[in-house]
Amino acid sequence: MTPTTTPALEARDVARRFGRHWALAHLDLTVEPGESVLLAGPNGSGKTTFLRLAAGLYRATHGTLSVFGRDVRAERQTSRRFLSLVSHDAYLYPRLTALETVRVWARLLGRPARDADLMPLLDEVDLTAAGGQPVGGFSAGMRKRLTLLRSRLEGSRLVLLDEPFAALDVPGQKLVERWIAGFRRDGVAVVLASHSLEQAARLCDRAVVLHHGQKAWQGAAADVVSRFEEVTCRN
Amino acid sequence: MTQRIPWARISWEHWVAGCGLALLLVGTYVGLFVAPPERHMGDVQRIMYVHVPSAWNGLLCYTGAFVAAIVVLWTSRPKWDAAMVGMIEAGVVLNALLLVQGSIWARATWGVWWDWDVRLTTSLVMLLLFAGVMALRSFVEDAERRTTWTAIATIVSFVDVPLVYFCVRWWRSLHQVQSTPETVDRAMVLPLRMNAVAFLLLAIWFAARRARLELALRRRDEVAVPERRELVHA
Amino acid sequence: MSQLTAPTLTSPTGAEAGFLRVLAGQTVTVLRKDLLLEWRGRSRLLSVMLFGLVTLALFSFAVGPDSANLRAGASGFLVLALLLSSTLALSESFRLEHEQRAIEGLLLLPVDPTAIYYGKALGNTIFLCLLAPVLMWVAMVLYAVEFGALTLVKMLGLWVLAAAGLSAPGTLYAAMTSRLRSQDVLLPLLLFPLVIPVLLGSVKAMDLVMTGDPMSQLRSWSLMLLAFDVIYWSLCGVLFQHAIEDP
Repeated sequence: MTPTTTPALEARDVARRFGRHWALAHLDLTVEPGESVLLAGPNGSGKTTFLRLAAGLYRATHGTLSVFGRDVRAERQTSRRFLSLVSHDAYLYPRLTALETVRVWARLLGRPARDADLMPLLDEVDLTAAGGQPVGGFSAGMRKRLTLLRSRLEGSRLVLLDEPFAALDVPGQKLVERWIAGFRRDGVAVVLASHSLEQAARLCDRAVVLHHGQKAWQGAAADVVSRFEEVTCRN
Repeated sequence: MTQRIPWARISWEHWVAGCGLALLLVGTYVGLFVAPPERHMGDVQRIMYVHVPSAWNGLLCYTGAFVAAIVVLWTSRPKWDAAMVGMIEAGVVLNALLLVQGSIWARATWGVWWDWDVRLTTSLVMLLLFAGVMALRSFVEDAERRTTWTAIATIVSFVDVPLVYFCVRWWRSLHQVQSTPETVDRAMVLPLRMNAVAFLLLAIWFAARRARLELALRRRDEVAVPERRELVHA
Repeated sequence: MSQLTAPTLTSPTGAEAGFLRVLAGQTVTVLRKDLLLEWRGRSRLLSVMLFGLVTLALFSFAVGPDSANLRAGASGFLVLALLLSSTLALSESFRLEHEQRAIEGLLLLPVDPTAIYYGKALGNTIFLCLLAPVLMWVAMVLYAVEFGALTLVKMLGLWVLAAAGLSAPGTLYAAMTSRLRSQDVLLPLLLFPLVIPVLLGSVKAMDLVMTGDPMSQLRSWSLMLLAFDVIYWSLCGVLFQHAIEDP
């Protein structure tokens, strides 16, 4: 398989059980490089579970998951270099300042970590003024911006976003939209899980609806808004 | 109409336990009534016929649990987790018996219930180590995490055992009092070996029963994958 | 948008460094991050020091005012104070990681779990070593023992070995127990029997340093402590990835 034909994400018959509850079952999903896919579904449909499986944070009970041809569990150190997960959790240390946080990330990623290298990054997310403040005091919007900055720093080819618009005001949501548009322009594959169907559908090529942990519908992102209720009620 | 006993359906470990019990009865009889008393300790020494087998087999169970723990980290197979748990618990039971027997021996020999004898002290630490492993296991709800963490704690605890032994031996080196005869009279070897094998067979039975229970508990929590649903047409 | 170089599919990180150099770099970064966090929360260090002092005082009350008894037990009391303080330090180091799932963020970057282990274990060792000057000085006063310069150096060296011996398995167990309900019971329950060789070795060695070593046993005890450290720093480094990743 040449690099250009390896899917960014390939899930085959993926299932995951927690105790006696199957959060996901029989899930097949392929995301090509540069493609953006909306993952929609009611609460508890398995969207977050799938994204965490794709990041290799859980092991699939059944099935296989690979990122650019690397198994997400067996080769997780490698596969994680290709992906970013932007989720509810900010992955922050409240006592560190924004600048210190970004510096830690840059050093861990082997990137340049001088102030001169990091300040432009904070500029991109309008956090320059707050760079010296502990992140523990940040609002939800500021924490989200920092998390987006992290995904840019990682330089991933696949970005997984779990409810990126949640708990954000309108300017915050606009910023997230701009970043997702920027990922698409840069040829980064995007998997976006969101309840904000109209907003998210505008940013994606394709949509998949999950219901009770299984794929219920897939099609063009433009059609998901009109089909969603029908699909989730039928099941 | 009399019911026939379904011999073929009796689990293998019950046959093993039967042999073990029979051997234990014979070995204990020989040890108590046939073998001669020890020259210095007299009849008190006869406790050796259960004390030494408890020690050997307890350590053997812990060693088996250590090997199973390594395999568990490699494969995460439930059967190996069940085997590991069975051997840990069999080891803990034998370890506890060992301490009680050692205490009785100390009382009979030196008039005190506890002496900081090297082997007795090491046995106490081993019991605390592996009882701690069992305690950890009981607090973890997720089955797979429980498997992995039990294996980690087992490996870490087992590696400590020789370190504890040598450390306590140096610690006691100025006060060492030989608690057991280094050489065993030939007339005592037979009941000792018989009981050693008997304890091994009974330990295997215990570990196997515990492993079966563990697997049954795990299966009780398992639910089959739901049927694949039809996609709604695009 | 900035022009950060995206990782290519053949050389994912964009940084052409050997594996060991990357591991060492990540370990140092994790250590620096932990030390910075400890500095920001330094009131906690003071609290743990106070706890150690309280422990030393309690031993004095328990044993009684006979100065000969106290002097004889001084090394034991010191090491026990270190041991009891260690559980506070160890559990705190992982509380910070779970607050906002920061450790999951590290794993996703990705940071090698081994680097996280060694960074945190080194941080814990340094934290415990910071207790040494205060606790030793108080022990000298309370138990009427006197340290010459050479004695002090040897005592500090033994303290470092003991702290390292507690931190190695302690960091591994803290990583696990910090995610459970009864972590305040489980961590000491698991750790204390395990570190008996450290307890015996350091107490014995410190006693020899303070009271004299006519049979030259100090070297053996120090080597035993070192052996424990080497074994557990290696073993726990290998096992940590299984402890920290969800199944």
